[in-house]
Amino acid sequence: MAKTPKENLELDDFGRFSEPALLILISLANGPKHGYSMIEDIETVAGVHLGPGTLYGAIARLEGHRLIEALKSDDRRNPYRLTALGERALRARLNAMMVVVRAGQRRLATA
Amino acid sequence: MNWLLRLYPTAWRHRYGEEFASVLQGQRLTVGLVVDVLGGAVDAWLHPQGQTMELEITKGETTMTNEMIARCAAGGPRISQRDQKMASAMMLLGALGMAVAYLVLTKLYHSAPAVQALGYAAMPAMYQFYVHGAYLRRRRIGTQLVVTGGALAFIYLITWGACEIAVRL
Repeated sequence: MAKTPKENLELDDFGRFSEPALLILISLANGPKHGYSMIEDIETVAGVHLGPGTLYGAIARLEGHRLIEALKSDDRRNPYRLTALGERALRARLNAMMVVVRAGQRRLATA
Repeated sequence: MNWLLRLYPTAWRHRYGEEFASVLQGQRLTVGLVVDVLGGAVDAWLHPQGQTMELEITKGETTMTNEMIARCAAGGPRISQRDQKMASAMMLLGALGMAVAYLVLTKLYHSAPAVQALGYAAMPAMYQFYVHGAYLRRRRIGTQLVVTGGALAFIYLITWGACEIAVRL
């Protein structure tokens, strides 16, 4: 069995915040965003509405694990961006998901 | 709706309060929203994520200190520079207070084991004062009293017991 990359395990530590954290990383993949923009972007991309409590629970964890970082802003809404570690974690998680998706599609094709 | 923010710990509000409030303002008040924020508040109390750390990561700027802290084991201590200064001040003041108490009690009771214990307890107590200044200042007063008071009492009782035994040997 293929060894799971370390970056991929980072999000597994987040418990119920794993999925919101993944959505936030995806949202930040095309550039920095502040909280409200993330909520709107995630709703557009994934059809999931994250409440502020869930959003900031995930942001605090991502920041604590140094997967994202806050940018300084004059506005009271701090934008966040992906760190290099966050980008690697996102790539690793998406690759792992892709392996599962392909396996599922192969099995469906032969069913 | 900003009253919902008060449900969160002080350190959390200090770090995310303003932006959280701005996101809240854009939301419609629903039962779902209140449940979500309540859940977030419970999580923030149960699983603090090191919000006391006040690294200033600015756009396009990476300082050497930020880099070092980011790379060291477990992310380094989760306390700000201000907390560290406060902790050092509390440690020095605590040690000074204990030294004065030791001198006064020695003058009054000479070298009674209970007085000697105060002198020996000063060293571990200094560490406890530092911990208090660094990690406990923003906690509720009850928590501060139980943790710091309890630890100091425990340290003192152990050293007092040791001193009582030592004079009987």
